[in-house]
Amino acid sequence: MTGTGWRLDRRGFVGLTAGGLLLPSLVRSQGIAPATEISAHERGLYEAARRANESATWYISHYSSETAEQIGRAFEATYPGVKANVVRTTAQVAYQRLTQDMRARVRNCDVFSSTDIGQYTTLKGDGQLEKYQPQSLRFLFESFQKASDPDNFYWVTSAGTVLINYNTRHVSAANAPKKWTDLLDPKWRNRISVGHPSFSGYVGNWVVAMRLLYGWDFFKNLEKNKPQIGRSINDTVTMLNSGERWIGAGPGATTQNSASKGNPLAIIYPEDGTLLMIATTGIMKSTRNPNAARLFVEFLMGKRTNEIHAANFSDTTRPDVPPYPGAKDLSTVKLLRPTDAEIEKGIPEIRELWRDTFGV
Amino acid sequence: MLRRLSVIEPATLLWLLLVAALVVLVAWPVAELLRTSFMAPRTGEWTLSNYTAAYGRARYVEALFNSLYLGAASAAICAVLAVPMAWACSRTDMPGRGFAWFTVLAAFIIPPYLGAVGWILLAGPNSGWINQAWVWLTGAEESLVNVYTFWGMSIVIALHSYPFIFIFTKSALDLVNSEMEDAANILGAGTWTTTLKITLPLVWPTILAGIILVFLETIALFGTPAIIGIPARINVVTTQLWQFFEHPVRAEVAAAYAMPLLLITAGLIGLQKIMLSRKGYVSQTGKGGERRLIKLGPWRWVLLAWCGFVCLLSVAAPMVALLQASFSRAWGRGFSLDNLTIMNYRYLLFEHDGAALSVVNTFVFSAAAATLAIFIALAIAYVVKRKLLPGGGALAFLCMAPFVIPGIVMAIGFYAAYAGPPLTLYGTAAIMILAFTARFLPIAYANGAAGVQMIHPEMEEAVRILGGGRLTAVKSVLIPLLKKALLGGWLLVFILATRELSAAIFLVGPETRTISVLLYDLSEEGNLEVLSALGGILLVITLVFVGTGMKLIGRDFMLRRGGE
Repeated sequence: MTGTGWRLDRRGFVGLTAGGLLLPSLVRSQGIAPATEISAHERGLYEAARRANESATWYISHYSSETAEQIGRAFEATYPGVKANVVRTTAQVAYQRLTQDMRARVRNCDVFSSTDIGQYTTLKGDGQLEKYQPQSLRFLFESFQKASDPDNFYWVTSAGTVLINYNTRHVSAANAPKKWTDLLDPKWRNRISVGHPSFSGYVGNWVVAMRLLYGWDFFKNLEKNKPQIGRSINDTVTMLNSGERWIGAGPGATTQNSASKGNPLAIIYPEDGTLLMIATTGIMKSTRNPNAARLFVEFLMGKRTNEIHAANFSDTTRPDVPPYPGAKDLSTVKLLRPTDAEIEKGIPEIRELWRDTFGV
Repeated sequence: MLRRLSVIEPATLLWLLLVAALVVLVAWPVAELLRTSFMAPRTGEWTLSNYTAAYGRARYVEALFNSLYLGAASAAICAVLAVPMAWACSRTDMPGRGFAWFTVLAAFIIPPYLGAVGWILLAGPNSGWINQAWVWLTGAEESLVNVYTFWGMSIVIALHSYPFIFIFTKSALDLVNSEMEDAANILGAGTWTTTLKITLPLVWPTILAGIILVFLETIALFGTPAIIGIPARINVVTTQLWQFFEHPVRAEVAAAYAMPLLLITAGLIGLQKIMLSRKGYVSQTGKGGERRLIKLGPWRWVLLAWCGFVCLLSVAAPMVALLQASFSRAWGRGFSLDNLTIMNYRYLLFEHDGAALSVVNTFVFSAAAATLAIFIALAIAYVVKRKLLPGGGALAFLCMAPFVIPGIVMAIGFYAAYAGPPLTLYGTAAIMILAFTARFLPIAYANGAAGVQMIHPEMEEAVRILGGGRLTAVKSVLIPLLKKALLGGWLLVFILATRELSAAIFLVGPETRTISVLLYDLSEEGNLEVLSALGGILLVITLVFVGTGMKLIGRDFMLRRGGE
């Protein structure tokens, strides 16, 4: 796949049989010297965590399993003796498990990451999150610092974009849409691919942003072009690759990842704004591993984690780590980012409107 | 019945034990679910509001009806595809019977999700290969086929479900001896009359069981409706259910929404009972009998052509499309030499963190679940059909219930029942095996019950008259007679477990990932090249496994060999 894939070569083989046992040493043999400078604050957390024999259990849904595992392993390599248990599932499952755990008073989860901001406002309102001021927050892009909870219950730890992607075999760069309203041009009838806001947080956020920008009429007019509705935002990549559809409202990262293999795809950062999708992380109230959980949150905002993101084609949150190949530095792009309140209130509304307009 | 019960023997205890197993496996999670459906989300108070939320809106009810139509359409298509094949493979001298068998198994092994992707590549209205060829050949403006329609979806589902009916029908036909057909022939009936009036009616219970299973499986299927149904703008129960898990999560509403599916299952079982009542389907009486293959003459080529057609639709065409993707650097570039690579396979086999472990997990879990399910199902089928315990109907229902509850909802019940204390099975292989066992118990049960029904009790009674206990009767009469049917059932459960997704996705832990979960993850990442390669690996491994298994069953014990 990418350079990372190549580096994992030998380890994958051993990892199959040995499970986690051999991993720390192998990670070292990969030559990933922990480039991260460990701050005094982090050192304090690390020592406290190690003294108390703590580990961090992380419920995560929006990374691929491989990325999530890599981050977990990198954490263990940086902080030997503190284990990271990565529990990676799809988004719907992760939150459902969390709520079932809470109901059964099982404290499995220490650190919870999700793209659904509504989940955090609910958890925060129910007093289920631990207050904490991460020291690394100040290293993030300013927009991400602002998007984190001002009361310090949850913080941005990863990001993504929704922009225009297209099939370069069928659409030339000159002909490609430049802004979202170009999608309404009748020449794109039967050519557009989108996801579904009831199945994808990315799509939900995008629909909310479009509605704020142009009103619901945007979607009524879009329906005149008979877009194909998929489920996940990544379905647009599949549909463009197959040639079934030519342009889409799709994810920057997955599109570029697929294009990097040679697929006929390209992305456009729309003039009227690229949707910025954020994923946040919170620490669960009364965690049994407070130091490890905090250390893990710091690590998620750290350089090392962001390097892993870039290598796996996802967006970085820090200006001091270069983005994945083909991506623009997000501080140079016009971004659309509805407020938490707009998203939380908007998503249930646009799901109903979507069903009315598109019938599914 | 009471007379039988009065004779207490060790076997009776065993039956009771099995009933207890069924309770643990099915009743407990289902009861958890039922309880959930009456619970207010936060407070946990008793309420009916989940039901009003689930069924108070026309669009939710509409999704339920769409599912019912879809189930009926797919089941009907399956029967049309499978019954002639099964008859040809079991009772005629059609050439290429092994080929037909392999077609069926391959169609079954391909995860429906992958098959659907293959058919999107073939029959997408704009870029599908079939449509491109059509436009190129005829110069037509309009495309020929569109997978994104109700019938497109029904057919794609049927192409990966017809093996249910095939395997059921064939294993039943394998047990029917030629005597009754001979009688019909002597009375002047031709081959076709005999087949339609004697042979097929004799195996009607198994065909019906297969049809019901396809119907139920279609209702519970998520993958295909998600990737074909949504673009076709058709919402069904499972895609609607999934939406209840988006924030704000309404698991209680989801549980309530799934409950009527249980009523449908119960209704179907009742219907089955009525349709089969007061007719005898016993064809195994222990009084000898043999089977000869029907000589078809030129008709055998027609049947072979039919099998080839089904193979083309269900295996060859979608697999070619997928294999093309799996050997591509970038499948969007289509066929070309410089686009060819084995990198995707190499990546999965040697570089990927979890792929090999997930392959091992899949086969271990599936084999364990299949063994467990067949054992329990046979015992329960025996208890029910021989009326050894009162309340057999309830047992039969319990056995069938898990099938129709969509996996994701069933998994919630499982998670509630087993993941936390006292058992704390979360993340273990045990919870996956238990879930697979429970989920496919209906298949094993339908298979076992149909088998037991065909075997006349007089053979077991003979054992008992001679002083053998019930266990001896089961061990030395029933199991040997049903060996092939049981193995067929085992294979069914095994294959289904290897493709199980919706429950696995909920119960999987870091060390228990299965291939289907990995497939789903890859599809979420939009990584079709690697996804297809994993499908290819899965197919090869399962075919080897199944091929070995079939070699081990040995030859058909009733089939007269040699030229006659």
